Amino acid sequence: MLLPRHRPFLSIFMGMLLLTTPTTLSRAGEPGPFPDLDMNDPASLQEATRVLQEEITLAGRHQNYLLIDLVTKTIHIKGRGLDLYRITIGSWSFEAPEAADRTYRLIARPPITRPTIDLTVSSERIPLSLDDMPTTYTLSFSPPLTIEVRPSDEGNPLHRLGTSIVTSWRTLKKWVRSFAVGPLAGGTSTEPVPYLVLKIPHDQAKSLAWSAVDGMPLVIRRPPEK
Amino acid sequence: MRYWPAAYSFSFFLLSGLLTVSLLQRNESPSPTASAPLTIASPGKVSPSDLSALQAHYKALSHRLARLKPHEPYILVDTARNHLYLKHRDTILLDALASTGSGTVLPKPGKSAESWVFDTPRGTFFVQSKLINPAWVKPDWVFIEEGLEIPRHQADRIEQGVLGAYALGFGKGYFIHGTLYTRLLGKNVTHGCVRLNDDDLKRVYQVAQIGTPIIIF
Repeated sequence: MLLPRHRPFLSIFMGMLLLTTPTTLSRAGEPGPFPDLDMNDPASLQEATRVLQEEITLAGRHQNYLLIDLVTKTIHIKGRGLDLYRITIGSWSFEAPEAADRTYRLIARPPITRPTIDLTVSSERIPLSLDDMPTTYTLSFSPPLTIEVRPSDEGNPLHRLGTSIVTSWRTLKKWVRSFAVGPLAGGTSTEPVPYLVLKIPHDQAKSLAWSAVDGMPLVIRRPPEK
Repeated sequence: MRYWPAAYSFSFFLLSGLLTVSLLQRNESPSPTASAPLTIASPGKVSPSDLSALQAHYKALSHRLARLKPHEPYILVDTARNHLYLKHRDTILLDALASTGSGTVLPKPGKSAESWVFDTPRGTFFVQSKLINPAWVKPDWVFIEEGLEIPRHQADRIEQGVLGAYALGFGKGYFIHGTLYTRLLGKNVTHGCVRLNDDDLKRVYQVAQIGTPIIIF
């Protein structure tokens, strides 16, 4: 039997119990920023913590940043730790990924021809829009990192041929360079420059070109080595 | 009647336990594992204690990142698709069609190397001012664009009734405000400000406070 003088205390206890229980349960079950992460794989955990460490620094600033998650094949446009926009990567290839373990800054955004208002010619204003963005472009970062963006749904055979020639030329250059600084040449090896090729849908390539602004930081989450 | 003290004791211990667990989970900021990088030389051979340390480090960092996110309602502006969202955590309170910066360039007269670029700035900003029936103080470029002489007196720059019923300033002369040209909502046509229709503007004005984050991408 409940005594009248105990009723207020019991109400407070039960109220606090109800408030505390869901909080505790939800926190225990939180997947964290990388829901796909295998918590028993040390290499994946180490990479995820490295990315998180970089993100915490970036999320505290006023600038938006890019997180390229090669594990989930997603590009995240982020600000204050929030996912502002997501782009799905069709496929990717990465040269020298082992060197891409830091925060990069975009040196120059994709080339865009901005309409200039010429008052002597016409009073008509033609604004820049998402449709004016390129779909094939290269992003250069500091420290050195290059990201080549290509549309995954490109249908033009000439375009595909051009892309293949560029890729072959790059592979040849890399081979020649490795030979030149290799042990046979008696040279010392230089630090490899990471080179990432991303194939993303046509309209999403435009979205990335729109959002990638000068000085924008970038972090890459790499898949564990097999 | 004698069972009630036992019930109280049980409730008290249960509650204390839950509170302790809850507080321990929240106490992650000053711990060295949350700030210092934790590296393991060869991740292939990891002891159970190292793995536990890595897992704890990951959880601590996850909580730190979560704490940096806005916990109050915030404004999100998508300049590519010209939408403004009013959000609270993952809930969208308002999805409004907006107009943002045109991205055009206007050369400054007499200064060949300088120009105005009409972009909406990107990044995180905060509501700095909330105005009712704002007056527009026209900048120089308005007169240059219209082929007019730049006025000498400040009073000649002021125009009433073109910015709508409310305006929210977020720094360097940029505002979220209303428009007379509602047919242009959804397009990149502004000089950098964010335009909304009257109803959406009113809702944003009501929810936003001084200090409300505005995240623009």
